[in-house]
Amino acid sequence: MDAEELNALAAAAARGDDQAWETLVTHFSGLIWSIAGAYGLARVDAADVTQVTWLRLVEHLGRLKDPSRMGAWLVTTTRRECQRRSAAARREVPSGDDRRLEDLRSDGPSPESLVLRSEREALVWRAFGKLDSRCQELLRALILAVPSLSYEQVAAAFGMPVGSIGPTRARCLEQLRRKLGSGVSTAT
Amino acid sequence: MGNDDGITGPETDRDRRDPLWRELAAVVRATDPVSPDLLRIGRDSFTWRTIEAELAELAFDSVGHALTGVRGSPLQRQLTFEAPSLTLEVEVSAEGGRRRLVGQLVPPQPARVMIRHQGGIVAVEVDETGRFRVDDLPAGPGSLRCHLGGGAGGAPVVTDWVML
Repeated sequence: MDAEELNALAAAAARGDDQAWETLVTHFSGLIWSIAGAYGLARVDAADVTQVTWLRLVEHLGRLKDPSRMGAWLVTTTRRECQRRSAAARREVPSGDDRRLEDLRSDGPSPESLVLRSEREALVWRAFGKLDSRCQELLRALILAVPSLSYEQVAAAFGMPVGSIGPTRARCLEQLRRKLGSGVSTAT
Repeated sequence: MGNDDGITGPETDRDRRDPLWRELAAVVRATDPVSPDLLRIGRDSFTWRTIEAELAELAFDSVGHALTGVRGSPLQRQLTFEAPSLTLEVEVSAEGGRRRLVGQLVPPQPARVMIRHQGGIVAVEVDETGRFRVDDLPAGPGSLRCHLGGGAGGAPVVTDWVML
């Protein structure tokens, strides 16, 4: 999907064309989910962040300075909501002995909601959840947003030169390799 | 241009064949893919689209700032939404999963304010003080739509969606 198509879709959706909107949702959902899932939020909170991002875009459709840069707008908007959500979770200090709110802060989607086929998968997933958010965002995007988005479009959305994707991915994978090598515990 | 792990792009052959990369990709796709529910959330958002409304953008959110508040007291958050013709100051208080909004229209004026949230829409009449309060809203996405001057004519003002 090139810049011209994005501009056209944004304009059509702004005029009420729900098919144009659906095309945008299909195209960018992977990118948004890549960000929303990179901040250690419980899955239900990441889904809420996703919803707020889409709702914001609905109201901003006819107001975007450059609709062809929608990917970058979505990344920035999703990140801000994740940071707010994390900050809000930190502020919900339990009173007395109520520790239930601690459960909102997890290292990833709640274990019950995942189907993990093996202990090795659980190990890899938990180690991945301990990488810094920027690494998680990029690796998730390369896995979930591609091939809807090209490498060039992922780079543009993250404000990175496309040539730095490969080296950044390699560095992040190296971090993952070290965490796996040091025997990250699978204990909850 | 593709290969059997479905990932293409500027990379060396060695990278593409890195077993850890292939393993990570498989784990992420298996455990945290974009679900049909997420796609539905995106599609359904379109129903909230307002026509011919002025947008009051989120200009300030106290949640992004230093911790305040006393342990055990209800969570409080200050939001400021700015439109060319109107500013809305909203204080959000949280008790468990419910939210209370105390709002102020600036300049103060009568209006009909609709609070849009996941469960529907709550309407509140605002007098010339421009002040309003809504209790017992659910936590979750929320946006205000203001019809100024008792709703007689003029484009409504809608705020950016926020997570209450």
